[in-house]
Amino acid sequence: MFCVFRVRLLRTASFRLAALYLALFTASALALGAFVYLSVRREILTDFDERIVEETDALKSDFADGGRERLAAIIEARGKGGAGFSYGLLSREGGLIAGDLRVPSAGVAGWTDAQEADSEEPAESTAEVIRTLVTPLADGSSLLVGDERRRPDEILAGVLTAFAWAVAATLALGTIGGLWLSAHFLERIDSMRQTARRLMDGDWTRRIPLSRTDDDLTALARTFNRLFDRIEKLLQANRQVSADIAHDLRKPLAGVLRRLEAARDDPSAAASREAIGAAIGDVEGVLDTFNALLRIGQVEAGARRAAFRPLDLADVAREVAETFAPAAEDEGKALVQRLDVPLPIAGDRELLVQMIANLLDNALRHTAAGVRIEVGGEKTAGGIALTVSDNGAGVAPGDRAAIFQRFYRGGESRRSPGTGLGLALVAAIADLHGLDCRASDNRPGLRVTLATAAETE
Amino acid sequence: MKILVVEDDEGTAEFVVAGLVARGHEPTVARDGREGYERARADRFDVVVLDRMLPKLDGLAVVALLRTDGVSTPVLFLTNLSGIDDRVDGLEAGGDDYLVKPFSFEELMARLTALARRPTLGAPRTVLDCGDLEMDLVARTVRRGGEAIDLQPREFRLLEFLMRAEGRVVTRKMLLEQVWEYNFDPKTNIVETHISRLRGKIDRGEASLIQTVRGAGYVLRVPGSSS
Repeated sequence: MFCVFRVRLLRTASFRLAALYLALFTASALALGAFVYLSVRREILTDFDERIVEETDALKSDFADGGRERLAAIIEARGKGGAGFSYGLLSREGGLIAGDLRVPSAGVAGWTDAQEADSEEPAESTAEVIRTLVTPLADGSSLLVGDERRRPDEILAGVLTAFAWAVAATLALGTIGGLWLSAHFLERIDSMRQTARRLMDGDWTRRIPLSRTDDDLTALARTFNRLFDRIEKLLQANRQVSADIAHDLRKPLAGVLRRLEAARDDPSAAASREAIGAAIGDVEGVLDTFNALLRIGQVEAGARRAAFRPLDLADVAREVAETFAPAAEDEGKALVQRLDVPLPIAGDRELLVQMIANLLDNALRHTAAGVRIEVGGEKTAGGIALTVSDNGAGVAPGDRAAIFQRFYRGGESRRSPGTGLGLALVAAIADLHGLDCRASDNRPGLRVTLATAAETE
Repeated sequence: MKILVVEDDEGTAEFVVAGLVARGHEPTVARDGREGYERARADRFDVVVLDRMLPKLDGLAVVALLRTDGVSTPVLFLTNLSGIDDRVDGLEAGGDDYLVKPFSFEELMARLTALARRPTLGAPRTVLDCGDLEMDLVARTVRRGGEAIDLQPREFRLLEFLMRAEGRVVTRKMLLEQVWEYNFDPKTNIVETHISRLRGKIDRGEASLIQTVRGAGYVLRVPGSSS
């Protein structure tokens, strides 16, 4: 298990990224290091040579002032003083007059490697090599000034070592960091994957645990959790609707069956006619339910949006209210309008007519004689609002949100005929037009408000 | 009436043909779109009943072809598609009416009669009358026995539709579609209540001109006369 985890760790995107980043960083550090090293090296070596040239110039002026004797005396004095330089004064023939440096080929001016006069053997290691400037003097002798080559080399070696340590530390920290980062991410991605798998297996209560750090991965997990919430709700609704459809269709179909059986068993024409008539009524009810479901489905699919036109919802409401007013009057109810302001909306007139008609159907159907039903409209901060309210018995607070669900039939209406889909269609049409449906207490009675939905993210 | 029924579903075709024969009409049946198109072009029919989804040639295509050929026989679409756009598509293709399955035979018959009698030529009428009821379409006035009757715009449209269909049955659905432009059926009895108000205004205690045909719809005719 651990081994598998480790292999996967190396294959994670975050580790690969970290490794790539590390490689790039190391390469750039190396390039920078090389540049710095070469610059420093040149500087140090130039400086080193310049010091020798300066010393040589000083001694040459001493020679010009006091001749070979004075120069020899100064060299002897300086050599013992330990100023850091090594000296040599060679005669024309190569004999050592003063100091302790000698070169294999005396008389050749310029830079060369020399060695101490007391060394028996030629120098083998660079540590003992003395970089020497050979300067011919006016009387044919040669002045040698040198310094141990080891000094600049030691400095440069120190720079290199420090630099190597720095690179090694970078690599080590980078690798550990990359591994940690990947392991950390992998753990969280693993938790997402496990959650998703549980969900697919049917446990829809699962959610991705959110980490304390509020980073992009947490944000992603939160988004996924919201998505899961939505799917869960849809699944529940779907299950519920399937069960409701089955339940709602079983009743009228059972009625048809019972009536047809009765007609078969009682061959009298009158009984048959009556049974068939009732059966037709039942089947019509079933078809109503199907038509309403199909209509809701079509509206929810949103295909009608292409046919939207700018129109005045108050105008539409006025017309529908006028059409329904005589029916309301016949039932002893008052249908009044309070539509004084235009309610501009982009929409489908036919659907909006049906939306308002369904609201009025609902208000007329679930109220007793004597009520007052009002269709009102107003402008709101967010847009427009259309209300259909009555002063009837109203809906219990706990049921108000449910009345827009398919097949909801509360209280008394459970026994009255109807598909239980009218307000669901209202909600679907409202949603298509960017309107929110809300049921509230009209004190007394029910108030349904369709208002421009607040902009969502 | 000579009626062409283009329908591939045997059950529906039988149901329609049996009803038409029982009422003394002469139905001809075509089983697919191509046959339907050829028959409609070859012979003169009063009206064509055309299923929307047909083998070989789609119903919409049949109508479109007939119209390009200059055949103006009225066409009534029968369809399983109750889509909101489907009706519009059918009418735009050149259909004259649209009926969603399942339907009652009375509904079909009322629509076929209306289509077959649809005036195609001649100057548009400006005055309609039925007995002593008179409607002036230009002045928007209605009189019965010379006495002016005050109607609301919707009532005027309702009466106009009934008068144009004088002697023929119009169904509730036809009224909803034509007078209110409702292609759905509200639960509230808006047609019944408007009809009863209209009766109250035009009958004035005399025998009603608007008669209810049980299970079918309404018919406007002079009482005592028969069609």
